[in-house]
Amino acid sequence: MTQPLLKIENLRTYFYARSKQSFVRAVDGVSLQVGHRETVGVVGESGSGKSIAAMSVMGLISAGPGVIGGSIHFTGSRVQKNLLEGLDKFVKIKEENARVMEVIKDESGWQKASKRLMRDLRGREIAMIFQNPHASLNPYVTVGEQITESVRLHTTHKSDKESRERAIYWLDQVKIDSPRLRFNSYPSSMSGGMCQRAMIAMALSSEPSLLIADEPTTGLDATIQSKIVDLMEELKSETGISTLLISHDISVISRLADRVAVMYGGAVVEYGPAQLVLDMGATIKHPYTAALLASVPSAQKIRDKANLQAIEGDVLDTINVPSGCRFYARCNQVTAEIREKCASHHPELQEVAPGHQMRCWRFGS
Amino acid sequence: MKKYSQTTAEIGDFSKLPLLQKYALADLLYVAYGLLIVALVLVSYILGMFDLLPHDPQQINMGLLMAPPASGGYLLGTDFMGRDILSRLIVGIQAYFLPGLLAISISLTGGVVLGILSGYWGGKLETVITYFTNLVDSFPRLVLILLVIAAFKPDIYYIMVVMGITGVPTVATAIANKIRFLAQKSFIEAALALGLHARVIIFKHILWYNCRALLIIQATLGMGEAILLETSLSYLGFGVQEPVPSWGNMVQSGANYFLQGNFWPSTAPALAILFTILGFNLLGDGLNNILEDRRGR
Amino acid sequence: MIASPLRVITYNLIKELGLAILLLLGVSFVVFVILYAAPGDQFSVLLEGQLPTEEARAGIREALGVAQSWYGQYFSWLLGVLSGNFGTSVRTGLPVAGELFNVSLNTLYLTLGSMLVTLFVAVPIALYSSVRGHSVAISWPLTMLGYVVSALPVFWLGYIAIYISIHNFNFFPLASVSQTSAENGWLYTLVPVLVLGLGSGTISEVIRSLREEMSRVMAEDYVRTARAKGASVWRHAFKEGLLLPVTEIIASKIPFILGGAVIVEQVFGWPGMGRMAWQAAQDRDFPVIMGIVLVAAAFVRLGSLIQRIVCATVNRRGQRD
Repeated sequence: MTQPLLKIENLRTYFYARSKQSFVRAVDGVSLQVGHRETVGVVGESGSGKSIAAMSVMGLISAGPGVIGGSIHFTGSRVQKNLLEGLDKFVKIKEENARVMEVIKDESGWQKASKRLMRDLRGREIAMIFQNPHASLNPYVTVGEQITESVRLHTTHKSDKESRERAIYWLDQVKIDSPRLRFNSYPSSMSGGMCQRAMIAMALSSEPSLLIADEPTTGLDATIQSKIVDLMEELKSETGISTLLISHDISVISRLADRVAVMYGGAVVEYGPAQLVLDMGATIKHPYTAALLASVPSAQKIRDKANLQAIEGDVLDTINVPSGCRFYARCNQVTAEIREKCASHHPELQEVAPGHQMRCWRFGS
Repeated sequence: MKKYSQTTAEIGDFSKLPLLQKYALADLLYVAYGLLIVALVLVSYILGMFDLLPHDPQQINMGLLMAPPASGGYLLGTDFMGRDILSRLIVGIQAYFLPGLLAISISLTGGVVLGILSGYWGGKLETVITYFTNLVDSFPRLVLILLVIAAFKPDIYYIMVVMGITGVPTVATAIANKIRFLAQKSFIEAALALGLHARVIIFKHILWYNCRALLIIQATLGMGEAILLETSLSYLGFGVQEPVPSWGNMVQSGANYFLQGNFWPSTAPALAILFTILGFNLLGDGLNNILEDRRGR
Repeated sequence: MIASPLRVITYNLIKELGLAILLLLGVSFVVFVILYAAPGDQFSVLLEGQLPTEEARAGIREALGVAQSWYGQYFSWLLGVLSGNFGTSVRTGLPVAGELFNVSLNTLYLTLGSMLVTLFVAVPIALYSSVRGHSVAISWPLTMLGYVVSALPVFWLGYIAIYISIHNFNFFPLASVSQTSAENGWLYTLVPVLVLGLGSGTISEVIRSLREEMSRVMAEDYVRTARAKGASVWRHAFKEGLLLPVTEIIASKIPFILGGAVIVEQVFGWPGMGRMAWQAAQDRDFPVIMGIVLVAAAFVRLGSLIQRIVCATVNRRGQRD
């Protein structure tokens, strides 16, 4: 069996809230994989850690302490390495009762080593697009110039003319209107949807193996959102690129993802094929996923005049992490037998069916 | 190497944290030092006002010229005419203290008025006021003051009035920006929607709650600048005249001796200037970091 | 639709020029008001100073009609100024404009040189401490040094510099400008430039605001994108993080630097505008000091103009101000 393109194991990214003198456990042991030519969607509420996880993969976390453990194995055709190779020698962790109490990290050493590891990957093998495309493009430089920069850096088309042609080619591929005109435009004169198309063009222009899309449709108008998703569907089949798609919008995930990981409180709670995970009627379902799916308004529900179903309680405070299952406080499927286990022991991610993993005391022990 | 530790499994309460963990050590030190300087200046001013000096600042002692500090009862030594440097330094404060206060009062008052007019009502008023602030900013202060000296009398109070007026733009812009910032946060809209009178909004909510830190900071920085200006002017010979001491003219008269290797008569007042201005600047900056940035967090 | 860049630049240039002229008019008006309000009928001294006899002066007074309204006088004065007539010095009896031209070049040299020194020192410190993140341990002593240097009275710094150059380098930096035409003459000019550059108090402000801006820009989304695509972060960040803040801060500090120049010129005997101003204030030589104020304000506005043009050029179509 071939190695997956991206294999994240037990990634931990912590921050530190000085005002509260405590750690913010943003990503607390996340494991997931992205195979070749596959799109993996990561779904969850704000604060679940999904964006942080994506940025940790790209090495874009600079706040302290940042990434403190885990491994990220990238197995591409040209490059294969662990993106966190040897970085744990810069980090010393002291734990108490399986809870991290102290971290000593050599920030500059870590950053230097990480930069060296990521140098031939960033932009070239792994490309990333972000939320809020307007802010993510340099307002002082034309759009075309920003794309040609990518082309010149990462492909063999180094000459002015060639890189320009490639940039326009990609602008065309993302179905932007009048690519030649847009080449000379500044981001300020373009709408959000157009900027996002340009970002996608910029990301794909270096022909990466993996695309990480962090909330690419959030912040755009609803109609534009749908168009961008259409575009991504097309590009997916045309280029065969693998994608790690982060979104809190389940409809976007359901249209694009082959497999889905559901994150809550900094950990993956359910992980499997999209049809299984996102199927409302499935019997084997994580309580959080079930609640999440039930809360999505749909045409059917409107017809049935059903009430909006919110998930009770507040989003997990990743500072004050409970010792038991993180979803325990809001779970509506706790039974008497497992109540004690749910309250005091954090469940592991376990395989409940081939290719389908779950983190819940209801399924598996 | 950075160390992060969580001392307990419980979350800490910010307001109960000891000072040192709440604010950066550097800022606390700045403020402490600044307050010390302000206290020293105040005390010295009062001492000077009531003539409570260790020695007569004008009294010449030919026997002990240019003595180093702590010699023969002269705590900071004597200058090239045997006069006690400490007493002269204390008296020197008279030269800038009240005028400086005058200058910053003018700056603050003018600045608040213009800042509010410009920030709160905006529109054409804002354009006009911006024009005025740019206009005032076009003049180098020292040069303008020399102009005023040439035209009128070289009276320190005239000069400080000019100083005060030229300080208005800084304060006005700071206040106007603050108001714009609050407006952006819909703070003012909300207050209006709640039916609060414009006067109440301006005086209570904007000025007192939100701007008082800013005003204190501008006052300390303004005082620092006033001191710099007064000492520069008296160095140039346009302030208090010899033998009455002012820090600026003390440096000037000791200049030749300095170049001959007798550093102290010029250096003592220069250090006084340095530490005092430093004190006011650090106080302003430290307060700024503690009071203003904290709010932003 | 999308205007050509050249058109945008020229439009901005004209707009800024107009603003500058408007401000200079305001400056002239302020100066005139001071002139008018000054006791001792300075105005007449200005106009009549060139004529030797009392009758001639009375004649001019009549001809000009001092009974004219104040705005009439303002305009005739303004016209005079614009045509280069700054009056004659009360002290020397020579026309002000000529002398002023020479000395202002000297001051320009001093000012520009000191700006370079300031930037040379402040920019690396600011960039280093912002790029390294908030490693307080390293940047704090430097910031502190910046504060101390800014609070130093620049005249005292000047004496220290003179003392050092005399006794350690056998170098007498008070040599007159005519000596600077000799070989290595320009070295003499270095000392006052250095002193003004270090002592004008601009260094700590440049460090502080540059560090703030650069840190802010480093955290911007578009810089994150640059990092994500493996591009040079510096290339993307420097426009907004270095170029714009530096020009802005320097332009705003020009009045301050000119003030420092007055003092430095005094310490070193540098034959510039500042020393001339000092002399004029001593002698109550109004025409001279008036001319200096006008030229100084013109410098300030020129600096501001240049900064705004740089801003407009870089900002092409950028939505930020």
